[in-house]
Amino acid sequence: MVRFENVGMRYGAGPEILRDITFTLDPGSFTFLTGPSGAGKSTLLKLVFLAEKPSRGLISLFDHDLAVLKRIDLPALRRRIGVVFQEFRLLDHLSAFDNVALPLRLAGRYEADYAKDIEELLAWVGLGQRMHNKPPTLSGGEQQRVAIARAVVAKPDLLLADEPTGNVDPEIGARLIRLFVELNRFGTTVMIATHDRVLIESTPGRELRLVDGHLVEMLGGPPQ
Amino acid sequence: MNTGGPPQIEGTRQQSRQSRTWALRTRWRILPRDGGAAPLDVVIGVMAFLAALALGGVMIADRMAMSWQGGLTGQLTVQVLPQDGTVPPDQVTAALALLRSTDGVVSAAPLSDEENLELVAPWLGSDASLLDLPFPTLIEVELAPGANVDVAALDTALRAAAPNSVLDDHRRWLERLRSTANTVVLGAAGVLMLIGAATVATVAFATRAGLAAHRDIVELLHLMGAQDRFIARAFERHHLIGTALAASVGAAMAMGVFLAAGGLEEIGVASVAFLPPLGLRLEELPWLLTVPAAAAIIAWGTARFSVLSALRERY
Repeated sequence: MVRFENVGMRYGAGPEILRDITFTLDPGSFTFLTGPSGAGKSTLLKLVFLAEKPSRGLISLFDHDLAVLKRIDLPALRRRIGVVFQEFRLLDHLSAFDNVALPLRLAGRYEADYAKDIEELLAWVGLGQRMHNKPPTLSGGEQQRVAIARAVVAKPDLLLADEPTGNVDPEIGARLIRLFVELNRFGTTVMIATHDRVLIESTPGRELRLVDGHLVEMLGGPPQ
Repeated sequence: MNTGGPPQIEGTRQQSRQSRTWALRTRWRILPRDGGAAPLDVVIGVMAFLAALALGGVMIADRMAMSWQGGLTGQLTVQVLPQDGTVPPDQVTAALALLRSTDGVVSAAPLSDEENLELVAPWLGSDASLLDLPFPTLIEVELAPGANVDVAALDTALRAAAPNSVLDDHRRWLERLRSTANTVVLGAAGVLMLIGAATVATVAFATRAGLAAHRDIVELLHLMGAQDRFIARAFERHHLIGTALAASVGAAMAMGVFLAAGGLEEIGVASVAFLPPLGLRLEELPWLLTVPAAAAIIAWGTARFSVLSALRERY
């Protein structure tokens, strides 16, 4: 599904943030990415969801070597990935419903086909009564739930989440993790960047830890 | 809150009444309506107003040049000069006979005393008497449209038939008029080009400013897998519609100005003497719509070029 080989990443002429990163995410796996703030977790996720190019090394995504893939082929890969951004990145002029619908719109689906799914999904994340509200009128936790619903609505092959439970109370956090686990059960590969030890210890999954730009496998043996 | 299991996102789809409501809803916009862009719309509207005024000015100047030239082409004037204080009547008769028998001449007639008095009135006053003056007889000659009269041969024949006659084909005056008219039209076209260039720059700047304000949306759509063309189309449509509306308001205001000028002339507030009417005719007004059309095309092109360029710089 995802394979990194000796990947290094630096911004401009700055220091290397990620060094010799090598790991694989198998199809249907559930992985936590941990590490102190500034360790490069978000940068690593950006490399996976094709927001950045590595400075060196090889990345393979969905069995495609990114080094030889044409730029025009990248959008199709991106549409197979659901991302929960740390800063949510919701469109303020659209309602919660329309924000969640965005990936389906980009996939060319019609609203009549997906409206019921979105209503159910928003109800599941506790926003059934607020689906017509726009993000500026939602709390941080509510915005985060909209962002998560948007990431999962198209049932992506790969789900990446950057601190997805950082702004919600434990009950909602547990519910969101259930959503991820359920998606994972149906075949979605999940990678979650988090500091939340309770979450990591209560959810079955492998842990990769970033320390000083290097990746260390914490559970289940060394990085593959 | 729903307390059951997670929803089957792509499960059975039974449309609820609410779903159908969503289906009937107007298509939503990926880009916001931009309340903050109002000042830029005002600038585009003002520039379109000025460009439409300049375009109307060019049309009026062109019409003026055509009317000046059209008023003098197709005409000749023959003067039979006085000799010892009086004009020889036999020479007038001979000149008229020659002119009327010339191919291409539709009519040849001497001006009446009243018409002669009208000509000199601006200098001598309306109570002047031609009897006190050695005034020539003026013969107005009208040529058939497109007639190719050999003016030099006619002049020679006239001098033979009526030695006191002088033929004036208005060539000098026409050339000066033509030169003046061309200068006026070129000047108006120059002003139109300057205002047009400023309008182009304004529309392009406003479009780029709009793109900069929506950079986060471009970024998000890109990361979610939108094709470059999809993103560019959203921006093209957004800026094309916004600019067309703003520029249409400016062009409509310019139309109002020209209609008002025409209306004032209709009710007797005359334009400056020797200048043509400053209003545009109804059939000329639609030309002003080329201004919002051009502005919309510029906005469309700028948005497309800018978005695609920005996206090509991205991974």
